[in-house]
Amino acid sequence: MATGAVAALRNMKVAGNSKSLEEARARVFDFFKLACRSLPSVMDIYNLDDVVTRSQLRSAIASQIRKNSHVTNTKVIDMLLFKGMEELGNIVEHHKQRHHIIGQYVLGKDGILQDLSPKDEGSSDFLKNFYSGNYF
Amino acid sequence: MGLGLLASRLIRPQKTAARTLLLRSIVTKPELQSPEPATAPQPDPTPDLPPRTPLAGARVHFPNPEDAIEVFVDGYPVKIPKGMTVLQACEVAGVDIPRFCYHSRLSIAGNCRMCLVEVEKSPKPVASCAMPALPGMKIKTDTPVAKKAREGVMEFLLMNHPLDCPICDQGGECDLQDQSMAFGSDRGRFTEVKRSVVDKNLGPLVKTVMTRCIQCTRCVRFATEVAGVQDLGMLGRGSGEEIGTYVEKLMTSELSGNVIDICPVGALTSKPFAFKARNWELKGTETIDVTDAVGSNIRIDSRGPEVMRITPRLNEDINEEWISDKTRFCYDGLKRQRLNDPMIRSSDGRFKIVSWHDVLAVVAEIALQVKPEEIVGIAGKLSDAESMMALKDFINKMGSNNVWCEGNGPSPNADLRSGYIMNSGISGLENADVFLLVGTEVIQLTFLICLGWNAWIIAVMSFTFCYFFAYELVCCFYDVLNLFFAFMFCTPFCTFSLPLCLIFCLMKCQPRVEAAMVNARIRKTVRGSNAKVAYIGPPADFNYDCEHLGTGPETLTEIAEGRHPFCSTISNAKNPAIIVGAGLFERSDKDAVFSAVETIAKNGNVVRPDWNGFNVLLLNAAQAAALDLGLVPESSQSIESAKFVYLMGADDVDLEKLPNDAFVVYQGHHGDRGVYRANVILPASAFSEKEGTYENTEGCTQQTLPAVPTVGDARDDWKIIRALSEVAGVRLPYDTVGAVRSRIKTVAPNLLSVDEREPATFWASLKPEVTQKMSSAPFDPAIKNFYMTDSITRASKIMAQCSALLLKK
Ligand code: SF4
Ligand code: FES
Repeated sequence: MATGAVAALRNMKVAGNSKSLEEARARVFDFFKLACRSLPSVMDIYNLDDVVTRSQLRSAIASQIRKNSHVTNTKVIDMLLFKGMEELGNIVEHHKQRHHIIGQYVLGKDGILQDLSPKDEGSSDFLKNFYSGNYF
Repeated sequence: MGLGLLASRLIRPQKTAARTLLLRSIVTKPELQSPEPATAPQPDPTPDLPPRTPLAGARVHFPNPEDAIEVFVDGYPVKIPKGMTVLQACEVAGVDIPRFCYHSRLSIAGNCRMCLVEVEKSPKPVASCAMPALPGMKIKTDTPVAKKAREGVMEFLLMNHPLDCPICDQGGECDLQDQSMAFGSDRGRFTEVKRSVVDKNLGPLVKTVMTRCIQCTRCVRFATEVAGVQDLGMLGRGSGEEIGTYVEKLMTSELSGNVIDICPVGALTSKPFAFKARNWELKGTETIDVTDAVGSNIRIDSRGPEVMRITPRLNEDINEEWISDKTRFCYDGLKRQRLNDPMIRSSDGRFKIVSWHDVLAVVAEIALQVKPEEIVGIAGKLSDAESMMALKDFINKMGSNNVWCEGNGPSPNADLRSGYIMNSGISGLENADVFLLVGTEVIQLTFLICLGWNAWIIAVMSFTFCYFFAYELVCCFYDVLNLFFAFMFCTPFCTFSLPLCLIFCLMKCQPRVEAAMVNARIRKTVRGSNAKVAYIGPPADFNYDCEHLGTGPETLTEIAEGRHPFCSTISNAKNPAIIVGAGLFERSDKDAVFSAVETIAKNGNVVRPDWNGFNVLLLNAAQAAALDLGLVPESSQSIESAKFVYLMGADDVDLEKLPNDAFVVYQGHHGDRGVYRANVILPASAFSEKEGTYENTEGCTQQTLPAVPTVGDARDDWKIIRALSEVAGVRLPYDTVGAVRSRIKTVAPNLLSVDEREPATFWASLKPEVTQKMSSAPFDPAIKNFYMTDSITRASKIMAQCSALLLKK
C-alpha cells in the first residue's frame, strides 16, 4: 500500500503554471485528494493509529489549505501547491519522524502547550504570545 | 599529455631553478637592499593632493591657536598644535604608523622602534612616537629607508618570538601577526635557537606565555600609570629581559584584565577564555555592563547561545577603554545557577516545575487575596528601566505604593535629581583639583606586609643596578643596530621601577570596589594634575595619595562647621569635588549626613553655575533609573507587614522581618539569595539576553542589546509583569517595548535620550531644613567583596577564585 502511494507521488509531474484561477483550484482539489489517499499509508508508517484518526488528519490537511483560502494569485497558489506536494512527498517517503507529524498535524500550533483553557479565550494576543515564547 | 607526465614534470628538478636557488642569497626584499635616504630635494607637494581624513577620527584641539605648527607628512601639509609627536602628526594626516609600544593613554616608552619614519635632514630614521614634531618638519612614512627600518625591527622581534600562532589565543587579533604580514620580510635569517622565558603566575585572570613577549612594556606602564599598582616590572637586560612581578606574587588590581587588551602579542591573554574559542568565530554585540553603576561600554562576544568573553568598548566619557575585572570576567556566572522554568514550591519545600499559565494563575490569585497595602514590590540591582516601570505600574494598579529598588534605602530622595547622581560627570572629575570622598571607601584592608620580600628586592636591585651600568657602557659602543636602541630605552625604565616597587610592596592595597572605573578617573586626575584627595570612612588604602580625615560623621560635622583644617583646602580649591557613597543611603541618619555634606558644599563653593562638584556615587546599575522613575516606598516599615512580596531580581533585601505567612514571588535569572525564601519562581532574562535601558551614576542613559537567546523557558522581565497584570485583571496598557518606553517618557523623559548624559537641572538649595540628628556610628563599607556583588557575579566561578585568591587577608 505504502509503495503504491510512493510510486504515485514519484510519477507526479511538476505541472506548468496554472492558466486560470479555475485550473489552480482544480489542482488544489487534486492535491487534497492525493493527500487523503495517502493517509492510510502515512498512518501506517508513522504508527499514528493510537493518537489520531484518519478524519482528524484529513481536517488538519483541509485547515492547512483553508489557511490560504484568501490567495487569488495563481502563481502564489502554484507555489503553495508545490510546497504542499513537497511536504507530502517528504511525509510519504518517511523523511520525517513520528514526532514531526504529531507536532505539526496532530497537536497543531497551540496544542503542544496544552495550557489554553477555555478561560483564556478572552485574553489578549500579548498573553497568548507570552505563553508560547519570549520572542514575539 | 597524461596526468602522470604533468606530475613528473613538476617533480623533476629543473636545472635553472636549482641554480638560482643556490645563487640567491637570503636577503631582504631586493629593492630595500641599499635604500637611499630621501634627502634629495623632492618636487614640492602639489597643492591639489586630495586631503586625507585623520585616522580613527583623530581630532586636534588647539589650546591656543598661535601654537599651531605646520609639518609635512608625505608631502601633505598638516597643522598641529605644538608638542605633538611625529606619530600623532601622522595620525592627523591620516597615515597609520605601525607601532607596538606606543599607546595613546600611556606614557611614551619608545622602545620597540617599530614606528621609525624618515625625517628629512635627519641622518637616521627616527622613532616617531617619541620625537616631538617641529615646525616645517618633512616626515616621510613610505620611503625605502622607513620600510627597511620596519622590516629590520620586525625581523629582530620575530627572532625570539615563538611560531605558535596556531595555538595562540591572540591569533587573529594580534598586532605582531598583522604587522609582520604588512611590514615584515618574507623570510627570516635566524637559524639559532629561540630564547624561552619562564611563564609568570599573575593570578586567576591573566594567562602568561612570556616567551611571546616583545618587551614593549605597555603592561608595565598600564599597571603603574592607570591601575596604580607597582606589580609589574622589567628585569634583566638584552635577551635576558623579562616582564614579571619581581617576586612570586599575583597581580592584584581591579583593572588587571586590561593588560590582556593592551598586550600587542599573545603574551598576556585571558585565562578563563584560554582555548575556548577563536576570535573570528565570535559574534560581537555592543552593549553595556550592569555589574556596577558606571555602565561601562562593553562588547559581548558570543558563540551560539553562549557568552564567550566580554571586552571593553571605547567611551571617552565613561570608561575610556578600560573595564574592571568584575565586568570582564563575570560572564561565566551567566551560565551557572540559571533559573529556566517557572516553579512553585510544593508543600514538602521542593520546587516543582509548572507551566507559565499555571504559575501566573497562582500568583495572580494570591495577589488578589491580600490587602492592597500588604503588597510590596522590590526591584533588584540589575533591573532595567522598562521592567521597573512595569513593576511600579503593576503594584500601583494593585492598590499599593510600596515599591522600591534595593540599595536605595528606606527613604530615598527621588525629588531632586542632583541629589543622587554624579553631577560633575565621570569625565568631569578630571577637572577637579580637590576631592573629598565621604563614605565611599570600601576597600578591604589587606596589608600584605612581607618583610621577607624587602631583603629579596634589595638584593636583586643592587645586583641589577651594577649589571645595568656595566651593560650600558658596553652597549654604547655597539650602536649599530636599531634594536639595541630598543633595549637601551628600557634601561631608565627598569631602574626606576625597581625602587618604586620597594615602597609599594609594603603597603599593598586592594581595589576600590564601588566603581573601579570612577576610581581610575580619580587616579588619572591625581596623576595628571596633582589633585588632592581626602577621604572620610573606614580605614582603607587607595592607589593614589589620599589623606584619611576620619572614620565617621564627627569629621563630617567638623568640616561642615569649619573647624577642620581641610576646610581651607576646599575653599581654596578651584574645582572642588565631593563624592558621597551611595552606601550612606541605607543609614537611618542619611538626611542629616547629606545635609552636612551640602553645608560643606555650600561653604566650599562646590556648586557654582559653571561647576557642580557635588557627586553621589551609586552602587548598582538600577539605582539611578529607579529614582528617576520614582520607585520610592510609601512607608519604610512595609516589609514587616507584607503578605505578598514581589522580588524582581532583588537578592540583597533583608527578608528577616518578613512575616512567615507572606507569599514571596521571585522573578529573576539566577537561583541566588532571593530564591531561598521564594514560594514561586518566575524565570527572567539576564542583561546579556534582553534589550533594556539603564542609567549610570552620572545620569547617562544607555541600552543593552541581546547578545544571546534566553535560557530555557525564561521571559523578559517587563513581559512577565505585563502578562501577570493581565491574569490578575489589572492589565497594563503596553504590549511592546516601544509602548513601555512611551510610558517611561511620561515619567522620566531623560531615560529615552540614549547615550546622552542628562545633567540635573535644579540644585538642592530648594530643600527643606533637616532636623534629623546624625548618629555617631562610623561609616560602614558598602561592599564587602568587590568580586561578588550581585547574582551574576556570585554565580561566577572566576569571581569566586578571584575573591579567594586576591582578597585573601
Ligand atoms: S607582556 Fe605584552 S604588554 Fe607586556 S611587555 Fe610583553 S608584549 Fe608588551
Ligand atoms: S611605537 Fe615608537 S618606539 Fe615603539
